[in-house]
Amino acid sequence: MKVLVAVKRVVDYNVKVRVKSDKTGVETADVKFSMNPFDEIAVEEAVRLKEKGGATEVVAVSLGVAQCQETIRTALAMGADRGIHVQTDAELQPLAVAKLLKAICDKEQPQLVIVGKQAIDDDCSQTGQMLAALAGWAQGTFASKVEINGGEMNVTREVDGGLETVSLKLPAVVTTDLRLNEPRYASLPNIMKAKKKPIDALTPEALGVDIAPRLITVKVEEPAKRQGGKKVADVAELVEKLKNEARVI
Amino acid sequence: MDFTFSEDQIAFRDTMHSFFAKELPVETIRKLWENEAADASSIRADLAGKIAEQGLFALSVPEDFGGLGLSDVDWVLMTQELGYYGVTDDVVDTAYIAVGILAGLPDDQPVKAEWLGRIAEGGVRVAVGHPANRLIAHADRADLLLLWHNDEVHAVPAASVQVSVNSSVDLGRRLCRVNWTPSPATRIADAALGKSLWADALNRGALAAAGQMLGLAQRMVDISIAYTAERKQFGKPIGSFQAVKHHLANVAVKSEFSRPVLERAAYALAEGQSQAGEFVSHAKLACGEAAWLASRSGIQVHGAMGYTWEVDLQIFMKRAWALDAAWGDRAVHKNRIADGYLRADALLGAGNTFN
Repeated sequence: MKVLVAVKRVVDYNVKVRVKSDKTGVETADVKFSMNPFDEIAVEEAVRLKEKGGATEVVAVSLGVAQCQETIRTALAMGADRGIHVQTDAELQPLAVAKLLKAICDKEQPQLVIVGKQAIDDDCSQTGQMLAALAGWAQGTFASKVEINGGEMNVTREVDGGLETVSLKLPAVVTTDLRLNEPRYASLPNIMKAKKKPIDALTPEALGVDIAPRLITVKVEEPAKRQGGKKVADVAELVEKLKNEARVI
Repeated sequence: MDFTFSEDQIAFRDTMHSFFAKELPVETIRKLWENEAADASSIRADLAGKIAEQGLFALSVPEDFGGLGLSDVDWVLMTQELGYYGVTDDVVDTAYIAVGILAGLPDDQPVKAEWLGRIAEGGVRVAVGHPANRLIAHADRADLLLLWHNDEVHAVPAASVQVSVNSSVDLGRRLCRVNWTPSPATRIADAALGKSLWADALNRGALAAAGQMLGLAQRMVDISIAYTAERKQFGKPIGSFQAVKHHLANVAVKSEFSRPVLERAAYALAEGQSQAGEFVSHAKLACGEAAWLASRSGIQVHGAMGYTWEVDLQIFMKRAWALDAAWGDRAVHKNRIADGYLRADALLGAGNTFN
């Protein structure tokens, strides 16, 4: 069984992002980038499936600028077998990503696609679901446990009320939640070996996909600064403030 | 000439940075320091296993013996990470310095293949007894000891030595006196070969200490910045006051000026340049000064509280103090520089900077 994993290059989670002065986005110049943490979980799960004998090949896919190859190399160092890079400098919104992944799925015919439940830069949490819809495949989102039994798989999902287990027919799309696994570190020998693994280069035009943005970002702003708290002298003052300032009673 | 590190070298460094950030938090170092903690030995074994899995022990083992065959230049980034996270000396002594000695042995020496292979797998520790160090670090937990005797190199199994532990200001550093008897059976290199192997080992030891001290200086600055951003006086974080900023800016300047000195030394050593010894000594002195300034300034910006047990700064400053005297103290390294530059055939002047 072939498993496809999508990995996104995002601003590193340790970086404190700053909004650009013209409020069109966040500063990305001279900022450290790394693999989206939820995608690391996706790669780890795919590699574990391969180690358990459930998967025969793990393909890591990244879409975007030339530096996305570094993100693919990280996935290869973690244990993926080969990479696919769809290179474009254009802005990629979730629908465009889902369409590109669908085109790659048509080409590669994987039985399972694992993606992070969301990327930590735009927090959209849409790509996996859109891909499943476009491909007409089953989907198991926010997975905290994955089990494959022949042509079916059980995905335990983290939902508000607790855990929900769904049974999916393969091929399927799974999006990973935080507790699915703990991703491994790429060991130094594996970083060396990853250099020799192949990365195929593609373009959106070659895949015949229209990636034009459908959404316009109007404005990006930092969250409002939190107001400091106040001490009140007695219950009467508290009630008065709740009534007249906070207006909650 | 391109002096930048390669993508692989940066990837190695970033990987180990993330690895130690998670696997060796300061709470774990405290547990290891408080040796009576019942779980200290299991923590140590667990950490050792994980470091081995990362392949750090195979870094400079030649490829023919199961390693990655990388050089001193790769180690210069690693030692900074080891310093930053306060990793104990047994790792660098085994994986870098002992490997350097063993790799320099002739191929028909059986100790070479056996121990390089075992080190690359990561399950063993080798202590190095260089005459520059009066006491041997972590000899009590070593599987093999490489010991100096009249410039000869002797490989002595742990069972054949008597070890007594001597306390160190750095509680993570197990300094040991070792009683042993040299014999033809333990000798793996004669004095002629041994002399050059011990000279290289001194350079590698001093370079590793320098790299770790630079990493420690950065850690102490980071700890101090975090404290000064949090501690408030006159209604503001103390880090916003110029007098406090200047202390830490001075350390940053010292560190940044030490870095190229350290990297030049690593390059010279890897390339076998004739000036490598002087460059290494320069690096040891420069990085030592940065680490000392970081510890002094750290204590100051912590309101003199930085020395106390409760503050994490003390762990890293004690480690820096211990390393500053290891592998030759300042006098030794100043003399090496003086000897190098006062030689009749000394390579002086800008034209010889990158020979």
